Amino acid sequence: MSNENNSNYNETGGGTLISNSVLFNRKTTVKKSNACPLSGEDAPVIDYKNIELLARFISEKGRLLPSRLTGVCALKQRELTRAIKRARAIALLPFSKQ
Amino acid sequence: MALYEIVFILRQDIAAQDVNRISSQFEDVLLEGGAKILKKESWGLRTLAYVVKKNKKGHYIMLGVKADVAVVNELVRKLKISEDVINHLVLAVDAIDEDPSPMLQAPAEIRHESHFAADAI
Repeated sequence: MSNENNSNYNETGGGTLISNSVLFNRKTTVKKSNACPLSGEDAPVIDYKNIELLARFISEKGRLLPSRLTGVCALKQRELTRAIKRARAIALLPFSKQ
Repeated sequence: MALYEIVFILRQDIAAQDVNRISSQFEDVLLEGGAKILKKESWGLRTLAYVVKKNKKGHYIMLGVKADVAVVNELVRKLKISEDVINHLVLAVDAIDEDPSPMLQAPAEIRHESHFAADAI
């Protein structure tokens, strides 16, 4: 097979040849706007009482969403985590749901 | 004197007028210790996100106070002993916002209560 020696391709299980640029360039973030939604001038204040805001950053099962998906910056992600855990402690948000 | 936010939940069996009476008792504990109550909010009977001591709903009361730590500790001791209080949260804060908290701004709340309701599971 002439293209088995071609270094731009790798064989996967099952014998199909796939280009390296597809295998090794998997995008880790969903393409989203670059700005953190919670930073900036008219950003809402993160508060454990503001469950309407907090609900946007938890999954359907009640788990915290990674900032990789939501686009939140590191500082705000830490504040968000603190607020969500407080809200869970006072039964405003669930710990988990089916 | 530092600023604290105290939220506690009374169990759902309690009648509406008793809610005021019981929360006044806790406020008196603070006032006798020399605290100033800067903010008091009642979020009403809300559905809890999970069952707490076999209650699916509870009366939420929030207080913003300026007090010494000893007074707050005394209040927490009383909250833990009380059979009517099923959950509480005390936070030291830098400032107490004068506006009503997001919990009192109604519209979306109706949509979210069913989303997080304890009996939706």
